[in-house]
Amino acid sequence: MAVSAQPRSAQRTSLWGWLLAVPSGWMAAFFVSSIVIVVLLSFGRTTNDGFPAFATSTANYRALWNEVYLELFVRSFLYALAAVVISVLIAYPVAYTIARHGGRYKNALVAAIVVPFFASYLIRMYAWKALLSDDGAVNSGLRSSGLSDGVTFLNTPWAVIGGLVYGYVVFMILPIYASLERLDLSLIEAGKDLYHGPVRTFFSVTVPATRPALFGGVLLVFLPAFGDFVTAQLLGGASTYMIGNLVQQQFMEGQNWPLGSAMTVALMVALAVLMVVYLRATSTQARES
Amino acid sequence: MTGVVRPSRRSLLTGGMALGASLALPGCAYIRDDAPTDAPLPPSAKAEIDGDLIYFNWADYLAPKVVKGFQEEYGVKVIESNFDSMEGMYAKLAAGNQYDIVFPIAKWVVKLRREGKLRAIDPAQLQNAEQVFYPGSYFNEPWYDAGSQVSVPFTVYKTGIGWRTDKVSSMTGSWDDLWNDEARGHVFTLDDQDEALAMAALLLGYDVNTAKASELEEIKKLLISQKEYLRAYSSDDINNLVGGDAWVHHMWSGDFLYMKDGVAEDPTKFDFQAPSEGVPINSDAYAIPANAQHPGTAMVFIDYLLRPENAIKNMGYLYYPFPVRDALPAFAELTADAPACNVEISDLENENVFRLLGADEVQRRAAVWTEVKAS
Amino acid sequence: MPRKLERKPRIAVVVTAVFFVWLYLPIVAVVLFSFNDKKSLSSFSGFSLMWYDDLVHNGALLDSLMASVKIATIATLVSLVLGTMLALGLDRVRSRKTQVTLGAVTLLPLVTPEIVTGVAALLLFTGIGLKLSMTTVILAEITFSIAYVTVIVRGRLLGVAHEVEEAARDLGCTHFQALRLVLLPTLAPALVGAGLLVFALVFDDFVLAFFTTGVDPQPLPVRVYSSIRFGVSPAINAIGTLMLLASALLIVTALLLPRLFGRGSSSLDLITTGEPL
Repeated sequence: MAVSAQPRSAQRTSLWGWLLAVPSGWMAAFFVSSIVIVVLLSFGRTTNDGFPAFATSTANYRALWNEVYLELFVRSFLYALAAVVISVLIAYPVAYTIARHGGRYKNALVAAIVVPFFASYLIRMYAWKALLSDDGAVNSGLRSSGLSDGVTFLNTPWAVIGGLVYGYVVFMILPIYASLERLDLSLIEAGKDLYHGPVRTFFSVTVPATRPALFGGVLLVFLPAFGDFVTAQLLGGASTYMIGNLVQQQFMEGQNWPLGSAMTVALMVALAVLMVVYLRATSTQARES
Repeated sequence: MTGVVRPSRRSLLTGGMALGASLALPGCAYIRDDAPTDAPLPPSAKAEIDGDLIYFNWADYLAPKVVKGFQEEYGVKVIESNFDSMEGMYAKLAAGNQYDIVFPIAKWVVKLRREGKLRAIDPAQLQNAEQVFYPGSYFNEPWYDAGSQVSVPFTVYKTGIGWRTDKVSSMTGSWDDLWNDEARGHVFTLDDQDEALAMAALLLGYDVNTAKASELEEIKKLLISQKEYLRAYSSDDINNLVGGDAWVHHMWSGDFLYMKDGVAEDPTKFDFQAPSEGVPINSDAYAIPANAQHPGTAMVFIDYLLRPENAIKNMGYLYYPFPVRDALPAFAELTADAPACNVEISDLENENVFRLLGADEVQRRAAVWTEVKAS
Repeated sequence: MPRKLERKPRIAVVVTAVFFVWLYLPIVAVVLFSFNDKKSLSSFSGFSLMWYDDLVHNGALLDSLMASVKIATIATLVSLVLGTMLALGLDRVRSRKTQVTLGAVTLLPLVTPEIVTGVAALLLFTGIGLKLSMTTVILAEITFSIAYVTVIVRGRLLGVAHEVEEAARDLGCTHFQALRLVLLPTLAPALVGAGLLVFALVFDDFVLAFFTTGVDPQPLPVRVYSSIRFGVSPAINAIGTLMLLASALLIVTALLLPRLFGRGSSSLDLITTGEPL
């Protein structure tokens, strides 16, 4: 193998090199440069006309040292974390059921999960608002069936978390499904015999086998959920303000793009740190198991 | 070997782009240093069709039938874009997008004019000009546009409180009602910096545009004290009330009329009050950007909308008064049931209008609003 | 033989059923209320097509719908190509440093709040003198979507044995053939999944789109978001229903296409996954 690998791998690198160059070029041109702009602007100021202007001031970063902002950060982190946990709890059973018992209807079922996401997130969230309002369909149903006097669903933290899950759970289901579907499911059956229980099997067989997908799913749910602002705006209450709302406000009503940029840079650094910690933790686990 | 070379080449490329970006950008249309402000006003266009109309406005702000009628009568298309805030509108204008007609709120007319972003609108070009610019009309010299050179008035509205008469019986006709005990947990405040700060300012007896640190501090404390009564900050007043979530809602007058007349199943359950401490009065206007490609069509469009029959149709859709002289009696009919919603043009002469503020003043107010919402 | 089960894991099935109900409840509400004969969003009183009538006569909405479809389609196709290239490259590149750096850069869009990407894109485009238009929206959307494709495709790649590809090469395939006949079919489910996801994301995007639109017809979600803060007219349900129908059609077509064309690859699927497509 080693003898024939040499010339082939030389060919390999150049192909992979080209493969990397084009998308990297794109990302550099469009994305990296726009991030550079944001970083540069974070040191800027606002002219009296309200225009953002480049400068070399650290005032925006100093303004971030505020316990209110820290509280928002923690709150957003907790909401996003809750959304991730609930998404995982939903994704595995759903993905497993479809992969294992879907049979001929597998693709149809997956399609059935994805189709709603084409009906506009905003419109669906708004429908929830109508459904869950104090005099909406759900509460009317609860009252007329005598189950309850009416529950306050909207404008609560759980409404926001529920909205986040609703919006992002598909990002968890699809990768895990793709991974589970490739898996030899008799492995899991064997695991059940070995570990004498579905829960232990789950943690000892299923999760390790789908680790990369789980990792991808966690990222795809946590990161956008953390920076989300629409859910809190539509379904949230007086005390559910998230970091995403704060950033949005700086770019809109607050008319302070430099401060918004500084917040974003801080946010990205914080999330990058979290990601590195997460990466280290999960790869250590992988090595140990 | 190749693995070592490529990253450095790529990082050079990236570095180069970054440098280029930072050098090029100060010259960019958006980022500027304090710009000169007294440019000569681009002259008014003649009211004749010169292409399709590129229209930029709030969503659902004109009756679709009226817009359609314009398209059919003049054989042009109306290409619509929407914004959800004045700041959003401004960002697109500053970026250089070429709209033919925009709908700024009064203080933004001041700002756009000052920055030379508008062109003149000559009433003599409009056949229906005297519907709004009749002798003695306030709009000949509105506070936001001296000599009425760049704008034509669109609507006028006030902000008050809408409430559920079947849930709350202890309303006092004051802004204090947004701290009502009966409605604890069912109070809503508008998700709008200017409106929320103005409401608190009026309650404390301050100017609605105040940016004084001491006054802002009091406003902040007052608004934070509201949180134990407050269910949410939301501008979706109609649905919050109709859906049963809100019993007392900081509300715009036109929205209340729309709800009462068009949406609510039992209109008697709702009432509106304009608190005694004073209410913010606001107005918006038509304006034509200086870089518009079809200003002629825009002029024709404004003229078309000033026709009383179209103004009446728009009022029937939006429930906000259009100060079109021959259409005003129709509006009086609409507000007959809810006189508190009525807005007189003379109201614009009062002090409670949102004025243009300097960037540092806006930021002080924004900081207060942020802390209120985040705490 | 693997089909024989001692007992269906009931919890999983129950969770799945509840999930589908929860997923579709607002969809049902949207479709139902699009036929409502009154303006109410909470009580259905009678059947009427008035909201669809409104829509059909509202040229602006139909233009927006077309704009959204165009933008989403182009953005999906381009980001699928670029994202897969990136995923493959990242997976196979030899320098670990490149892999980590590029991997991080690719994930950056996910870490950045959309409003910031939007504002930054706005500043970038105006800075280089590029006029805002549908093209700038597409450029921005592609940039944002590549990350999703890369993450999903990599998830599927990690674990695809290079041996299978080596085996194909040993059997005489050229590089390209190995790619086409072995790798891509293996990646197919990931590509379809990523493609659908990206399409939905771009189709539904309003923040990024708002900041990068010019005066061309705006994508539909920008319009929806502009009204949603202040409460929407029930016509929005008609829009939602139509969007649902249009996309359901698209997905069904996307799913049926392989059936119509791809009998040849299924045998290779057997080798790589152990399951016929």
